[in-house]
Amino acid sequence: MDLAAQIRSGLQRQGLPTPTLEWVQAVLPNRNPMPPLQALIATAKARLMVVDITNGTVLDASAPALPPNLSNMEVVETKLSRDVLVQVLDIDNLTKSKWEQVEELEAIARGEQTRGREMIRLPAAGEDDDEASYSSASTQALSSAPGGARGAMGASATPKNSTHRLVLQDCKGQKVHGLELHRIERIGIGTMNIGEKILLKKGATVARGMVLLEPTNCTILGGKVEAWQKAWFDNRLARLKETIESQGRDE
Amino acid sequence: MKILCVAEKPSIAKAVAEHLSGGRSETRNTRNKYIKNYVFDYDFGGQPWGNCTVTMTSVLGHITAVEFPSEYKDWKHPPPERLFDAPVNTVIADDKKDIAQNIETQARYSQGLCIWTDCDREGEHIGHEIREAARKGNAALTVKRARFSNIERAHILHAARHLIMLDDRQVNAVAARIELDLRIGYALTRFLSNNLKSLGGPLANLVISYGSCQFPTLGFVVDRYFRVKNFKPETFWSIKVKHKKDGIDVNFSWLRNRLFDRASVVILYERCLAAKTAVVTKVQEKPTKKWKPLPLTTVELQKMSTRFLRMTGQQAMTAAESLYNKGFISYPRTETDRFDKGMNLRTLVQKQAQDNRWGAFAQNLMNGGFQQPRDGRHDDKAHPPIHPITYAGPSAALNEFEKKIYEFVVRRFLACCSEDAKGVATDIDILYGEESFHAHGVIVLERNYLEVYVYEKWTGTAELPKFTLGERFEPHEAMMTEGKTAPQAI
Repeated sequence: MDLAAQIRSGLQRQGLPTPTLEWVQAVLPNRNPMPPLQALIATAKARLMVVDITNGTVLDASAPALPPNLSNMEVVETKLSRDVLVQVLDIDNLTKSKWEQVEELEAIARGEQTRGREMIRLPAAGEDDDEASYSSASTQALSSAPGGARGAMGASATPKNSTHRLVLQDCKGQKVHGLELHRIERIGIGTMNIGEKILLKKGATVARGMVLLEPTNCTILGGKVEAWQKAWFDNRLARLKETIESQGRDE
Repeated sequence: MKILCVAEKPSIAKAVAEHLSGGRSETRNTRNKYIKNYVFDYDFGGQPWGNCTVTMTSVLGHITAVEFPSEYKDWKHPPPERLFDAPVNTVIADDKKDIAQNIETQARYSQGLCIWTDCDREGEHIGHEIREAARKGNAALTVKRARFSNIERAHILHAARHLIMLDDRQVNAVAARIELDLRIGYALTRFLSNNLKSLGGPLANLVISYGSCQFPTLGFVVDRYFRVKNFKPETFWSIKVKHKKDGIDVNFSWLRNRLFDRASVVILYERCLAAKTAVVTKVQEKPTKKWKPLPLTTVELQKMSTRFLRMTGQQAMTAAESLYNKGFISYPRTETDRFDKGMNLRTLVQKQAQDNRWGAFAQNLMNGGFQQPRDGRHDDKAHPPIHPITYAGPSAALNEFEKKIYEFVVRRFLACCSEDAKGVATDIDILYGEESFHAHGVIVLERNYLEVYVYEKWTGTAELPKFTLGERFEPHEAMMTEGKTAPQAI
């Protein structure tokens, strides 16, 4: 068996869908001698986590996708019949009102944050105008280690009873909502990345078109799509405000 | 030997003269219509003064003021920032000249000066102003200071026999603050007014004043105003479960509280209904307490009066000052929320036993119910927490506000000397389908301090029926509810 095929079966053994041979070839390092197989499998997996899986050249046509019509709200309950790899397109904290999230973001933009009853003042973010300093403050909060002062945003934003809703996408580009039925630590604004990969397991419940996420029926694999992540954070405030406006108009 | 005593205000001079003279003093008018000189004999007990002829008088707060020289009077020139290092003169305020003159004249006939200003920073500085005025009349005066925090007789007599020195560090601290207030206030007020004038309209002829407290306060007010004004209401949904057992209605609240997405709540709600029965996952009973209040500070007094007595903070303070001047309560300006261990609180409790509203409660404390008050974390080292000094019966000459404040101070004090309220708290968790719900109940066993402290209630005192772990039941009602977020009150 050639190297690419060995890597492919290595990924399969980890429960991951099969990438195309061409893609595996492309991620192989141009080195002689080649690093050991285990290292190559790890490299391929890491690369898989940061790509857009709907790109036809990445996953083999046989890769499992969500059943068509899964989002049908008429179906009270169904179960996934096989493991499916999906990527996160959007995340929403349903426990907090949109306005509360807007106020939080604006407080961060002013250099003020609260943790409990304590107010944290971040150093002014340089000479940038307001818009730019806000986005850099939020991305800094993401890139640093959790627990640090700047990581506080993600950590403090997700108390135990939080409920999030994700927009998930399979390799065919089909989208489905995922609702956090039981708290999953990794899901949180600031802790979960956009483009992050989740393996939905066989038997996971789908109720009225929403996948009910529990720690036992999904594996958070990590990763992110850098460009999506940046765009998501940069536009978050505008999106929240837009949603509020459109809800106001509906009434 | 002749001693001059000076208090911070006429009411204190009168009360102290009354105690020291045993009611036998001669009252003389001064050129200021509010200020009297009381002349009597008193034996200070020898350190450093013995049997003396005493003249007791007072000031009306600060005698001196600070100001810039006349060449700085123009708002435009020199520019406001020059005020930060311009010279500052201390002068006797025009309306205080007769008061300073009285002290100077009296000092001429005296060998000693005893200062009876309030024992806080401001009082220390006023003491310093009095000392300076007296030394103009007699530079050789021996200067002492009395340390007291209320005008109860025994306390005043003790203070007169245990005189101390003026604390110059506190005097300097106040002097620095006064100078900073002057420089910063003048410079920024002129700067703001001059610059905003050019905007015209209502600002053209306005003084935009700056104060180191008012400015940040204005910031908080503006901030809150915008938060309320910009607020956008949003709809949320929730699930409520009701059950009736042993004749008691129980409301279970959803552990997720509420979600801002209707579809998600519909799905979760539908799955609850489909599960039909709920199972009890936790039953916990544990003793619980409601803590008695901390000893009373000024801020707390003002907060409580606005909340419970329908008075503004200002009205409460005026009433409290008056009660203090009449000797009914201790000095009402204090940050201290812990009683000194050496203080005999029981005697103060005993004085309240004669009242027909809270007397029985006080008597009960005397019969063994007394407990040392909790210690707060603040001590201004000048005054004890606000507490009653003597008993004021319903017939005492007090106005309505004073009566309310006196009652509050007494009830608060007795509550502090009582015991925490005790009860049993019950927590019940259920799992209904995949969703968790929670009920909380409290049964009050001993009301203790709540008996006298009528301003507080132990709310949420709902009794829960008996549930056992693992018990299954079909809830009588499960409802999906809808609500809207609202802004904070202004």
